[in-house]
Amino acid sequence: MTDGTASHRSPVAALVLGWILPGAGHAYAGQRGKAVLFGVLITGLLVAGFAMGRGTNLLPNEWWFAPQLGAGGPAALLTPLSQYLAIRQPVDWASPVREIGTLYTAVAGLLNLLVMMDAYVLLAYPGEKRERDLVREAGGKTDDA
Amino acid sequence: MPESLSHFFRSLVSLHNPLWLFYPLLAVIAVVYKATKFDRPKDIALSSIHFFVSVALGMLALGLAFYLVSILF
Repeated sequence: MTDGTASHRSPVAALVLGWILPGAGHAYAGQRGKAVLFGVLITGLLVAGFAMGRGTNLLPNEWWFAPQLGAGGPAALLTPLSQYLAIRQPVDWASPVREIGTLYTAVAGLLNLLVMMDAYVLLAYPGEKRERDLVREAGGKTDDA
Repeated sequence: MPESLSHFFRSLVSLHNPLWLFYPLLAVIAVVYKATKFDRPKDIALSSIHFFVSVALGMLALGLAFYLVSILF
């Protein structure tokens, strides 16, 4: 999935692009397959959680907003809509589905932070990334399952 | 005790239990996390399945342990 021409690209730009649009950091680093995978999964998780909370769980006055912000651009777009919907309709604060939806949005933000850091590491330490696969190919043990 | 355990497992498989919603969340976490670790699609898929099953069974065991503690004490 890597095109091998990523060395002249800026790791910081990958970090920022990944925050603006989930997966964009990997697209910038030349990993288009992973970019699509991350973009679809993280944005999908955020939107699914938003829908489960009937659009009322991306509110800046809740502490959940800190991890939700990790989802960057999509979260920033949905926040004003969430504020509007929270005023316009009654919010069932105790609904378990709303709470799980809020968890979805927060996890989407945290996963995007992980993905952003991965895109950064891809460009900052280009040789590091394939080490795990080389170890596996050689039949050695890795530190992960 | 067996009746309590039966109640625990019946509530777990009930369609009205919102805990079902944790499985899609766990699946996304597994795929995203493992995709940051591996490059080849086959490795990503296999390790994601392993992660998903391990965490799901681990959480089930933890839930069962807490449930037993709650009915015993």
